[in-house]
Amino acid sequence: MSLQVTLKILRSRPHQEQRYDTFDVTVPDAANVLDAIEQAWAHHDRDLMFRHACHHASCGTCAVRINGREKLPCIAPVKDYDGGEIKIEPLRNFPIVGDLVVDVAPFFQNQEASDFIITRPTENELDGKAIAHTQGLDPESAPTVPFNRFENCVECGICLSACPTMSADYKFFGPAGLAAIKRQLDKTTDANEREKLLHLADDEHGVWRCHSAWECTEACPQSVFPAESIMALRKEINAQRFKKFFRL
Amino acid sequence: MSNPPHVIIIGAGSTGSATAHDLALRGLSVTVVERGEIASGTTGRNHCLLHSGGRYCVNDKEGAIECIEENLILRRIMPHALEMNDGLFVALDDEDYAFQEDFLAGCEECHIPAREIPVKQALEIEPFLNPKIKAAVQVPDGVFEPWRFCTSFLATAKKNGATIRNFTEVSDLVFQGSAVAGIQVFDHRTGKTETIGADMVVNATGSWAGIIAEMAHVNVPVAPTAGVMVTIGTRLNNMVINRMHKPHDGDIVVPVRNTSIIGTTSWRVTSPDAIEIPQDQIDKMMHAGELLIPSIKAGRQRGVMAVARPLIASANVDARDFSRTFEAFNHRKQGGAAGIITISGGKTTTARGMAEKVSDVVCAELGISVECKTKTTPLVSYRDFYN
Ligand SMILES: Cc1cc2nc3c(=O)[nH]c(=O)nc-3n(C[C@H](O)[C@H](O)[C@H](O)COP(=O)(O)OP(=O)(O)OC[C@H]3O[C@@H](n4cnc5c(N)ncnc54)[C@H](O)[C@@H]3O)c2cc1C
Ligand code: SF4
Repeated sequence: MSLQVTLKILRSRPHQEQRYDTFDVTVPDAANVLDAIEQAWAHHDRDLMFRHACHHASCGTCAVRINGREKLPCIAPVKDYDGGEIKIEPLRNFPIVGDLVVDVAPFFQNQEASDFIITRPTENELDGKAIAHTQGLDPESAPTVPFNRFENCVECGICLSACPTMSADYKFFGPAGLAAIKRQLDKTTDANEREKLLHLADDEHGVWRCHSAWECTEACPQSVFPAESIMALRKEINAQRFKKFFRL
Repeated sequence: MSNPPHVIIIGAGSTGSATAHDLALRGLSVTVVERGEIASGTTGRNHCLLHSGGRYCVNDKEGAIECIEENLILRRIMPHALEMNDGLFVALDDEDYAFQEDFLAGCEECHIPAREIPVKQALEIEPFLNPKIKAAVQVPDGVFEPWRFCTSFLATAKKNGATIRNFTEVSDLVFQGSAVAGIQVFDHRTGKTETIGADMVVNATGSWAGIIAEMAHVNVPVAPTAGVMVTIGTRLNNMVINRMHKPHDGDIVVPVRNTSIIGTTSWRVTSPDAIEIPQDQIDKMMHAGELLIPSIKAGRQRGVMAVARPLIASANVDARDFSRTFEAFNHRKQGGAAGIITISGGKTTTARGMAEKVSDVVCAELGISVECKTKTTPLVSYRDFYN
């Protein structure tokens, strides 16, 4: 069984006028929109620019807008867009490199500013014993180290595209960056490190710039809840100010 | 020859990325060209398993030893880009149970740390594991995230002076006499075709290596064999769960972040571009996964992907039995064009080792002698790629 779909893709290059191109492709039933984009590239236009790597919502590279909504096309089933055309456009609030490819450099520089480490000790979500790994070096050692896992955030930039503040202030640190600060804050007890992180968030382009539209949390494909992190950071910053004021 | 010599690497999968890092660290001038996004070929879509070698320790000892050596090195040079939770090999039936002896002997022979753990304990650690398992052995498997794996190598290469150009596709090679002296590329950003000169070209295009080799009028026997993987939208295991038997279709469940990925099958394809996934391959995966972790049946399929292995073809063997070890072809020595070397085969786990071997060949061809330092050099953050 297979599905026929028409993709309407926004094409642009620095040296070209923007335009929409349509591609008719046939994909297997289980295909996601990313597979359809790849078919368009493979069989119709090898100059179509799009980002992709893992095809399972882990690398975060493929984010685009599908029919106006920010999505990871690698986990957006074609059959959910029954019949009609599927309109595909690049993310908003990023400079466009070409077609569906946007420049993620400023975004990653923000992510780096908080030294956000993409692994973390596992929360015991499997309900099993979160005991230890051997680090591969000493299988005889007593289990002491908790399991680790990658953070939920795949750094896809979807929340920045969905964020109304971001389109008003390009210097805004952005939902993902602020959520990363919160994650790092939760991982450390070091007072200096915490101070540094809160200082980074406590900025006119930081947590105070957010208008609480909650679009980021709504759009995030990975249940990172950036808006909640921003609110929590505000609380922590206020608490710290309070302490400082009264020299507690 | 320019000073330092200029080497062009075609392809930014795990092989090309690790090679860029190795050569840049040796002080060479390096340019990487990749037709699309980093890791948009086979690497990005692989099963994310940092092999301990356990999977190969009975049938492919050479491959297994490479895996464990590289596994231990990667843990040191990119600790923040790995989930290091080990793996379990579990026996589901009597045949698997009988295989355990060979498996443990294989691990020992290949120096893979392995320990049997009581079934009760295994089920405590992995509550979703099939409760009927007959035995469990723990080995140091791990999990990487392919795009960040490659980007970490490239970020470090860039820090050491390398130029990385993605969305830049090689359309032809440039010759000086009969020797390759550079490449012709089409830059998708600008729409312009240009040539870039090089003292040496490394063809690290994996399943596409045959196409570049053809441009150099040489033959590389790549046999693309596809594999499918199914992602379940819940993490059902802490450790990598392998079935303890001879490698088979769908016998590994790799946990990544908030998902579990079942893989993988193996079938020959004619072109590695945009492989269409047959539904029966997906069904086969689900079934094999359910045997290991029954809750997979109730799980939500979150993604399905397929991609081709860049295996070196040898006549008359089953796709699954091709050696997983890699090969660096110095075409000049085989009577072909000078100035180009092809590196193909292998695994992402062994990318650093492959890079060391091909970089040694490159340096020997260029008549320079610099030691490889990648075993002990920590990689910078993948995000520094964007600095
Ligand atoms: C189904 C499957 C599962 C696997 N699972 C694992 C695993 O769990 N663990 C593991 O360690 N290994 C695994 N492997 C093996 C591993 O993925 C591969 O060996 C490895 O990714 C090969 O990397 P590469 O860099 O050689 O090739 P690729 O990653 O394919 O890189 C080649 C690059 O060259 C580029 N290119 C092609 N033509 C051109 C051109 N003309 N100009 C410019 N660039 C070009 C491509 O876009 C591509 O990015 C798996 C393989 C498969 C098929
Ligand atoms: S917070 Fe969510 S939407 Fe934002 S970058 Fe991370 S995964 Fe993407």
